[in-house]
Amino acid sequence: MEVLLGITGKDFTLIAASKAAMRGATILKVSDDKTRQLNKHTLMAFSGEAGDTVQFAEYIQANAQLYSMRNETDLSPSALANFVRGELASSLRSRKPYNVNLLLGGVDPITHKPSLYWLDYLASLAPVPYAAHGYAQYYCLSLLDKHHQPDISLERGMELLRLCADELKRRLPIDFKGLIVKVVTKDGIEVKPFDEDAVVRGT
Amino acid sequence: MSSPFSINGGACVAMVGKDCVAIACDLRLGLQALTVSNNFPKVFQYGDNVFLGLTGLATDVSTVSDLFRYKVNMYRLREERHIAPRTFANLVSSSLYERRFGPYFVSPVVAGLDPTTGAPFICGFDSIGCIDFAKDFIVSGTATEQLFGMCESLWEPDLGPDALFETISQSLLNAVDRDALSGWGAHVYIIEKDKVTKRLLKGRQD
Amino acid sequence: MPGFDFSNYNRNAALHARGVPLPKATSTGTTIVGCIYEGGVVIAADTRATSGPIVADKNCEKLHYIASNIWCAGAGTAADTEFTTALISSQLELHALSTGRKARVVTCMTMLKQHLFRYQGHIGAYLVVAGVDPTGTHLFTVHAHGSTDKLPYVTMGSGSLAAMSVFETQWKASLTRDEAVKLCADAIEAGIWNDLGSGSNVDVAVITADKTTLMRNYIKPNERTQKLRSYAFPKGTTAVLNEKIIRKADLGNFVSVHELTEENDDKMEVDT
Repeated sequence: MEVLLGITGKDFTLIAASKAAMRGATILKVSDDKTRQLNKHTLMAFSGEAGDTVQFAEYIQANAQLYSMRNETDLSPSALANFVRGELASSLRSRKPYNVNLLLGGVDPITHKPSLYWLDYLASLAPVPYAAHGYAQYYCLSLLDKHHQPDISLERGMELLRLCADELKRRLPIDFKGLIVKVVTKDGIEVKPFDEDAVVRGT
Repeated sequence: MSSPFSINGGACVAMVGKDCVAIACDLRLGLQALTVSNNFPKVFQYGDNVFLGLTGLATDVSTVSDLFRYKVNMYRLREERHIAPRTFANLVSSSLYERRFGPYFVSPVVAGLDPTTGAPFICGFDSIGCIDFAKDFIVSGTATEQLFGMCESLWEPDLGPDALFETISQSLLNAVDRDALSGWGAHVYIIEKDKVTKRLLKGRQD
Repeated sequence: MPGFDFSNYNRNAALHARGVPLPKATSTGTTIVGCIYEGGVVIAADTRATSGPIVADKNCEKLHYIASNIWCAGAGTAADTEFTTALISSQLELHALSTGRKARVVTCMTMLKQHLFRYQGHIGAYLVVAGVDPTGTHLFTVHAHGSTDKLPYVTMGSGSLAAMSVFETQWKASLTRDEAVKLCADAIEAGIWNDLGSGSNVDVAVITADKTTLMRNYIKPNERTQKLRSYAFPKGTTAVLNEKIIRKADLGNFVSVHELTEENDDKMEVDT
C-alpha cells in the first residue's frame, strides 16, 4: 500500500510519497522518506520490495553525485531517467533483478522546464505530466485526468495533491500515515508542509 | 501474468505506396488494463529515410530502439554513410537471432526508401528475427488481427502520398478502436524521396 | 559457429516460471518435398508462413541457397531454417575454397546434422537437402534433432502426409525431368489444398550436374482477384492534430551533404 505521486506544473514538479514503512501487516515507521535527491534539480521517489528500494535508489544517487563531482555539471532529469532505465534494464537481465518502481521528477537546469518520468520494475520508461505508482494509480490518475492542466501554479498543484491525498485516505483500506511532499523548482528542492492530521469525511 | 507481448499494448503498421512508404504507430503505454501514458511513440528514425517500428514489451521497445541507435551510429561512423533500409533489416534480423534462446519481446517493422533506386522497402520480423518481406503491408502489435483485416481490404497498389496517408491512418485508427490495449492517438510518417511528413492523429481517448 | 547470446534467458525463464507463455515464432507449417530423377533432383515447397492461426506471409521463400549445386527446402521455425541454412552455406563455401573442390551434398548434410544435434532439437529446423556433386545426385532429409534419411523421394512439414500420398500413388523409378517436376508440384499442391499450415504458391528448384533452375512461383493457384471497387478515402478524411514536414533540402541547414561524383572507376561497392 505504498503511495507515490508526481505532478508537474508551470515551473515545478511535485513529488509525494507515503510516510509509512510497512512490513507485512505491521507499520514499522511513520516518518519514512521514500525519496532521494539525485542532484540540485532532480528528485527520485521509489517503492517496491524492501531492501531493493533503498539499495537501488542510493546506488543511483551515488552515481548521479559522482557524475556531478567529476564533470562539475549536473545531469538533466531526462539524462538521469535514461540512466536509471538502463541500470534497471540490465538488472532485469541479472540473476536477482531489483523490484523497484520509480518516479523521477525534476526541472531542467538550463531550460527550467519541469519534467516527470514514470518507471516500473520492468524498466518501462514514460515521460508523463502526472503519475502514480501502486494502488494510488487507480484512485489518483482519474482525478488528475480531470483536473490537471500543464500550466498550473504551485498552489494549484498542492490543491490537486490534497485532492489525491483525501481520496486515498477515503478509499485505501490501510493507513499510509500521510504524505511527505517535496517540490522541485529551478532554485532546488524543498519539503512542503502537508497537513496529514485533517480528518477526511467518508462519502 | 499474461503474455509479455500484451502487457503494455500497442500497434504498428507499415505500407508501400507509389514511390513512397508509410509507417504508423499508436501512442498508448499501459499496464494490463491501466493506461499509464498516452505519449509513448513506437516508431523510431535511424537516418534520412530508415524507420523502425517496435511493438511488444515496453522495456524491450526502449532497450531495442536504444540498441539500434547505438549500432546504426557505429555503422555510420565506420562506413561514413547512412545505413540502407535493407541493410538495416538484416542488422535487425541478425541482432534478434543472436538472442534466439533469450529473445527480446518485440515485433519490429522496418520501412524506408532505397537510397540508390528510391524503391519502397518494408519488412517485418518475429521476435527471433525471421524476416517477412512483404510487397504490400506489414502489421504488428496487439491489434495485429484487426490490422490484417483493415489492410487486406483497404490497401491497393500505387497509392500516392496523400492517398497512402488516408489509407494507413484509417487502417490503424479503425483497427485500434477494436483493441482495448492500443490507441490513444497515433503517429504517421509518410516517407518520400526528398521529404518526410510526420503527422499526429486525433484518436479516441477510451 | 554462431555465438548465441543467452543474457535474456534468465529473465525470460523467470518470467516463464511466473506463467508467462513463450513467444510465438513465425513457423513454416509447411509442405516441402524432394524427388530424384534420371539426371538430377527436384525440390519444391509451398509459400505460406504462419504465426499461430494467422497467415504471416502469403508468399515467402522456403527454398534456400546452400551452394550453386546444393539447395535446401526448410520447414519448422522460420528463423531457424533461414539462419541455419545461411550459416552452413557460408561454412560450406569456405570449406570448398580451402579444399579446392566442389562442395558435396553429404558434407552439407553432415554439417547440418552435427549443428542441429548439438542444439538437441532446440533449433527447430527441418530440412530437405538436395544437390548434385561429382559423386552423383543426392537427396536427404535432416530433422531438428539431428537424424537424417537418404531416400529417392521425401516429404516434410505439416503437409508431409498429404504430399507423401501423392508420391506413394504416382512415384515410379526412372522419372524424366518433367515428370519429376510435375510429381513434386502435385505433391505440394496436395499440401496446399489439404493442409491448413500450407498454402499459396508452389516454388520448384531443379538441380542437374550443369545447372540449377529455380522456378519461383511455378504454380500460382491462389491469385487474388482484382478488387472490383476502390476503397481509397478522399483526402482530408483523417483528423490531423499536428503536422511536421522534414525536407531533405532543409537538412542542409544543420548538416552539409555532399553527393559523391562518379568520376573515379574504383568506386566503393555499396549495397543496392
